[in-house]
Amino acid sequence: MQSTLDGSDGDLARAVAARDPGTAGPAESELYRRFAPRVRWYGLRHLRDEEAARDLVQQVMLLVIEKLRSGLIRDADQIASFILGVSRTIVTDLKRLERRREKLRDVFIVPHLVTTSVGDAMLDIDHLERCLARLAARERIVVLLTFYGEKTAGEVGHELGVKEGNVRVIRHRAVERLRTCMTSREGVQ
Amino acid sequence: MAECKAPIPEAALLDYWAHDLAAGDETERIETHLFACVDCAARLEHLAALGIGLVTLVEQGRVSGVMTRTILNRLQRGGAHVRMFSLMPGETVPCATFPGDDLVVAALRADFSGIEAVTLSVTGAGGSPLARFEDVPVSGPGGEVLWATSAAVVREMPSMRMEITLASTGATGGELGRYVLEHHAPAGRS
Repeated sequence: MQSTLDGSDGDLARAVAARDPGTAGPAESELYRRFAPRVRWYGLRHLRDEEAARDLVQQVMLLVIEKLRSGLIRDADQIASFILGVSRTIVTDLKRLERRREKLRDVFIVPHLVTTSVGDAMLDIDHLERCLARLAARERIVVLLTFYGEKTAGEVGHELGVKEGNVRVIRHRAVERLRTCMTSREGVQ
Repeated sequence: MAECKAPIPEAALLDYWAHDLAAGDETERIETHLFACVDCAARLEHLAALGIGLVTLVEQGRVSGVMTRTILNRLQRGGAHVRMFSLMPGETVPCATFPGDDLVVAALRADFSGIEAVTLSVTGAGGSPLARFEDVPVSGPGGEVLWATSAAVVREMPSMRMEITLASTGATGGELGRYVLEHHAPAGRS
């Protein structure tokens, strides 16, 4: 069984689809462990809301496992592409019809999956505060407008009277500095 | 699992996250790669975590320094209590925090015609330097510079007179305005 869990994404998908009692459960958990973080950032990026992103993880992974169990995924080696496709579809639906979220969650409840951690990176927020304070004023404003203000480079440039290309350069440099600062004292756990 | 042979450049990851890629082929190509690649997905996850951390800091009012009106407006819409003091050049304004305040902001106005960036410096008692921000962008002649301090920090400050100076950045370095905040600490702290 261990070889399956260490195998490719396709191996895991095949193990789930085979529904072998001794392997399917752990394979589902491993598949979830690998893909939940990716679905989560996809949700964060497109929905801009942590709770909605967490819900998306549950909806997508439950649907994927249902499809695998039902033998409806023909090419197991394309599981990543399939999960991305499901994520896209659900995000589109969520944007179009907010109520659909609650409905799907009610239909698919698999407790051992719902409680699995998505393994997201946790930040030392106190250290991040110090790192942010070390940035130059211009860099600080640009990263705050990007991440908190949810502004594109063009919008930031318009607000600050700076060319879009320059905003991208400042933003890239600022994020690199934050990263370096955070890892310099094991800021990322 | 195999190492990524064609990692997405950091700048492209950041552009993707900030919605700076045109919707279509490039975004689809990056998303397809990210879903199939553990290494790049982990890098994006760290970027996302950094973004969430920054949002948390702002929402907790832990972002002392220069701000923009967009950030302040968003904070206030989110329920943050922002205590704002507006100052014209040469003006002296008494300031204090009150229970429930999250952020204290000095809105510094001046004639910013032809100015792209300024240096903001703050001195306390006896001219001792308290803060200095260089190359602060300003946009338009009717602009403003917003200097924010966490209310939690201000509450710990003793009563004092703070002098703020704005000067244009660059070769000329001309002074644009001088402002005074007379801070009154809560009873028992002065």
